[in-house]
Amino acid sequence: MGFGQFLSSPEIKLKVVTFRDVFQNTAQESSRFGEDYCKLSAVIKLDPKDIVKLSIKEGETVIVKNKSGKVVVKAEGSESEESHTGIAYMVNSPWSNALVPDETGGSGVPSFKDFEVSVQGAKGERITSLRDIF
Amino acid sequence: MTEYYVCPGCALLCDDIEVEIEDGKVTKVNSACRKGVARMKGCSDPMECTVDDEKTDVDAAITKAADILREAKDPLIFGHGNSSSQAQQLSIDIAKRTGAYLDDTSSFCQGPIIEAILQDKLKTCTLDDIRHKADVIVFWGADPSNSHPRHLSRYSYFPRGNERQRGWEEDRTAIAIDIRKSDTAEICGQSNFYRIPMAADAEFMEALVSALSGKVPKTSFDFDKKKILQLANVLKKAKFGVICVGLGLVYSLDELEPLFILMDKLNEVSSFHLLPMVGQYNMRGFNQNLFDKTGYINRVKFDGEDNSVKHGADFSVIESLRNRSVDAALIIGSDPLSSLPLSVARYLAEIPLITIDPCRNLTATKSTVTIPCALSGVEAGGTAMRMDGVEVELKKVIDTDNLTDEEILRRIKEAI
Amino acid sequence: MANVMEIYQLLPKTNCKECGKSTCMAFAVDLLARKVKVDDCIPLVNEEKYKDNYEKLSEIIAPVGDVTETGLIVHDDKCIGCGNCVVACPVNVANDPQGAGSGKAPTSDKVIFKVEDGVVKARNVEECRRFGENKILCVACIDTCPTKAIEFV
Repeated sequence: MGFGQFLSSPEIKLKVVTFRDVFQNTAQESSRFGEDYCKLSAVIKLDPKDIVKLSIKEGETVIVKNKSGKVVVKAEGSESEESHTGIAYMVNSPWSNALVPDETGGSGVPSFKDFEVSVQGAKGERITSLRDIF
Repeated sequence: MTEYYVCPGCALLCDDIEVEIEDGKVTKVNSACRKGVARMKGCSDPMECTVDDEKTDVDAAITKAADILREAKDPLIFGHGNSSSQAQQLSIDIAKRTGAYLDDTSSFCQGPIIEAILQDKLKTCTLDDIRHKADVIVFWGADPSNSHPRHLSRYSYFPRGNERQRGWEEDRTAIAIDIRKSDTAEICGQSNFYRIPMAADAEFMEALVSALSGKVPKTSFDFDKKKILQLANVLKKAKFGVICVGLGLVYSLDELEPLFILMDKLNEVSSFHLLPMVGQYNMRGFNQNLFDKTGYINRVKFDGEDNSVKHGADFSVIESLRNRSVDAALIIGSDPLSSLPLSVARYLAEIPLITIDPCRNLTATKSTVTIPCALSGVEAGGTAMRMDGVEVELKKVIDTDNLTDEEILRRIKEAI
Repeated sequence: MANVMEIYQLLPKTNCKECGKSTCMAFAVDLLARKVKVDDCIPLVNEEKYKDNYEKLSEIIAPVGDVTETGLIVHDDKCIGCGNCVVACPVNVANDPQGAGSGKAPTSDKVIFKVEDGVVKARNVEECRRFGENKILCVACIDTCPTKAIEFV
């Protein structure tokens, strides 16, 4: 599958906030290399309006990238009843950390919970595996 | 009498855990949350003892680890969140002897809050105080339902306590301040949930201070003034208030000044305490142990020659790796390759690396030396410090062939 | 939580009676009460055109091991073992004030809720306030659950 087919899909800029999820954390305790951990980590949760803007369907894969890195993850609608257009949620994991900028402005603390990315639909593209990240 | 054990799943260190054992394995864990059960039952990927990706015995691995640390000019010793206090003390000793950078996960986590608490700049209290006394509990940028599942049931909201005998509906008010409606916010209820924009925590604090001072609380994001005044009113009436500070708040504040001002104001009008929602089971222990020895809680560099110690952001795990100022690393009780920004973690994979952990993790896959250790709280005892600074003795449940983290570091220290 | 109409809409609506009920609506009512299983609707299982509906319905009517007599269901897959219900349940508080009621591991056999292996288990349900002659619509365990893992059917 070539990259060209995605050229037509719209790309939007979003801010990402990371969060903790007890189910993903439990999977991590069992095995960081397990399927469950990947399945529960390689996900971005989007506002329904942003899903429309991307012209994708829930459950399709998207490319999420910025200057720090690039990952292919599954797009899900967020359960949140409040609108959060322009903001996407990712669970704290190596997948989100691939996108966290390393600049700290001298503080020694990266912006784990507030960074910009661009997102583009990539239906059928394989989800980035833990091995691919490194 | 039921024998109770301590769960090392997070810094709540729940001490009412019942276990069942069969054939030397933990087969059932009662009272612990989902995550704690997974921790106590052990991982499916145990760490192997290796040098250069070849399986070896622990003696050879320890010798090689000592060689790496001895030969390095500026080694880094990092991790410690999931290490016993005994192991942490030895980490400090090894760092002194080798002139190493020494840091822990608090460096990009709850560090600033714990530092302020240890320096008496913020009023704090214990989890037991919260259970017995707290009537107004604020979860700020914190979602314990996911990070510390038993926080609300054991201490902060639902249990009966000495001065809280009538149950949560009458006796306690739980409030969530967050940028999204978390599971915890859901439990607090719509009227006690304050949804604020990203990075607006400092401004919201300012508005809250205004409201507490009887002024009109203005925000650039037009937050409903009535709602802020209503919140101020609840906080004012608190007999024993507590703010549980989550990473959402820590990361959003460039400096702690707004929090200091809010806490001062709250303690003028009522009584408020602050609790850091520490994640890993003994992160706070490391901060305390290093503070007792050096006056700093993290981010130090020892000088091998004259035993002096430097401290600051330049000696943080992130900056030291980003600036490539370290030339080898010992990682214990943490998995920085999965928890650091990738670009920083990548450098770690380029230098001689030693990982000590019960489970195979990402850092282990890039390590020159990997040494399996006993899982504290299950396969070994040890001391740890709860998020509120209370020391807890971990208990051994089952036997293992692996050495404890303490024993491994002791032998590395001797070999150096 | 699903309602009868939602369930009915996903059924074949042919009133074929193969399940033994006189109408699909009657089946929907029993399905909601977990008196029958999704698989008891034979056309839904066997006919290709109902495949989507079968899957949707199976998801809505999450499989439950056993529905207790009070209609209390714990969805194991959603439960995080936080123990909020254990501590908040008024019966647990009354029967075990120093243990469950104080936030600790239950010390009495008479508690309704207890967390085992990271998931809450219900027992002694005849003690539940929603049960018996003087029943009241207590919602302590439902309101305190962060993941909506408990429901009454």
